[in-house]
Amino acid sequence: MKKLRDKEKLTSILYPVIFGVVFCILWQTEVLHLLIGADTFTLPVPTRIIGILIDNFAVIMGHVKATLTVALIGLVAGSIFGYFLAIIATLFPKWGVGGLTIASAFNAIPIIAIAPILNNLTKDVSKDPNTRSMVAKILVVMICCTVSMSINAFRGFTEVKPFSEDLLKSYAASKKTIFMKLRIPNSLPYVFIALRISVPGSVIAALVSEYFAEFIIGVGRMIRENIVLAQYASAWAYISVACVIGISMYILLLAAEGILLKGRK
Amino acid sequence: MEQTKEIDIKIEDLCVQFEDKENGDVVHALKNVNLEIRQGEFIALLGPSGCGKTTLLRAIADLQQTSSGSISVKGQTPRQIRLQKKFGIVFQNPVLYDWRSVRRNVCMPMELLGVPKKERTKQVTKMLELVGLMNFGKKYPHQLSGGMQQRVGIARALAIDPEILLMDEPFSALDEFTKEKLHLDLLRIWKQTNKTILFVTHNIQEAVFLADRVVVLSPHPGRVSAVVDIDLERPRSLESKNTPRFAELVTKVRRSFEGI
Repeated sequence: MKKLRDKEKLTSILYPVIFGVVFCILWQTEVLHLLIGADTFTLPVPTRIIGILIDNFAVIMGHVKATLTVALIGLVAGSIFGYFLAIIATLFPKWGVGGLTIASAFNAIPIIAIAPILNNLTKDVSKDPNTRSMVAKILVVMICCTVSMSINAFRGFTEVKPFSEDLLKSYAASKKTIFMKLRIPNSLPYVFIALRISVPGSVIAALVSEYFAEFIIGVGRMIRENIVLAQYASAWAYISVACVIGISMYILLLAAEGILLKGRK
Repeated sequence: MEQTKEIDIKIEDLCVQFEDKENGDVVHALKNVNLEIRQGEFIALLGPSGCGKTTLLRAIADLQQTSSGSISVKGQTPRQIRLQKKFGIVFQNPVLYDWRSVRRNVCMPMELLGVPKKERTKQVTKMLELVGLMNFGKKYPHQLSGGMQQRVGIARALAIDPEILLMDEPFSALDEFTKEKLHLDLLRIWKQTNKTILFVTHNIQEAVFLADRVVVLSPHPGRVSAVVDIDLERPRSLESKNTPRFAELVTKVRRSFEGI
């Protein structure tokens, strides 16, 4: 049984890796270009992209740092704020449920729409264009992360197993104790459901908000700048960096989930 | 000799009413229920669904508002007893917290009572021994079978040494083999701990096999329609079910349902 599961685990990693390797070989040998009718100018071969990454490593890392700062601060602040909103909604269910419905409407607003607005709203925050751009970008990421956290955490607080509240009440537990012993631990898997949406979301929101920011910095902005200048190889280098950021943050999340939700089904 | 024991729970003219949300009619979940339960007695509350047996149990545990009448538990109100944390409840499903190991689930009520850690650890070990789960303390609920989970629920209910054990169809979701085993375990635990037990069930055989007295409830409105003394010899074993007396008592209880 265990052997079978190990085998499944192995193949679930192995097959995508094989697919990736084959894909890169086709790409490098320009077979891919023939298949999709592209040229090496708009779609440079992997070795050229890697070459650019190595040559410009220090510059690229500067942009990575800017993007990561925006994504992480926005993710953490937005998630904490969303969790806090969920607590309030649980304590005051009459207003809370309606409030969260309105909050979920925010989720429907595209990033492209809110980014320029927030740019405008934050133009007096600081004299330093980099700082005020950062604030605007972080706010965009925050909005994206707040909503999914507040909705999921609220479900985690309220969707408890039948009788589990009664159990605590039968021991004369206070509202606070019920929160500490039942609602908060029950919300943990829901927090991870939210983070599985928010972590990739925060990277995307950071990349897109950089497009509209006043100050020119960040991986997302560099993708745009290079495409505008028809420097496709550099653009691809930044695109691959963006992929690495998103994937590594997701892997970190899964690792944290594995540790914190250990023992749960 | 049982008669000389003091009255543990006294229910007088108890009524519980709900308002039907759809048409505004008043539903009598319980009407004029009178019952006296002695210390150490094993009482089965038996009836079809909708007869108010769970409502009665919840009213005794102060988890259900009553409309009129009174309940006294050891001379106090259910609320006082609840606030003193003297009830142990086992629900229809085990209600284990899946983020807690078996040990920590059993430990939970003691944490609420502020029992010192050393004492908690000792008591948890004792309780797990009582329910036969010594080797499963570190497991998590989803790693256990349904029967084992319910045993953890029983261990948790007994951990704070409650005055009264309230059980709401605790074995109804289990298969027959597991159920039979848990019946015997429960009788053994009851004998060892001498608790007053209220056991809600809709299974006639189960009620007769376990209880000293079977309280038969009937629906619309929920009321006590009969109380049947079960004079089967103790200690009971699976053999008890093969005796003519068992069959007679089952028939007697079943008859009390006729005409409902």
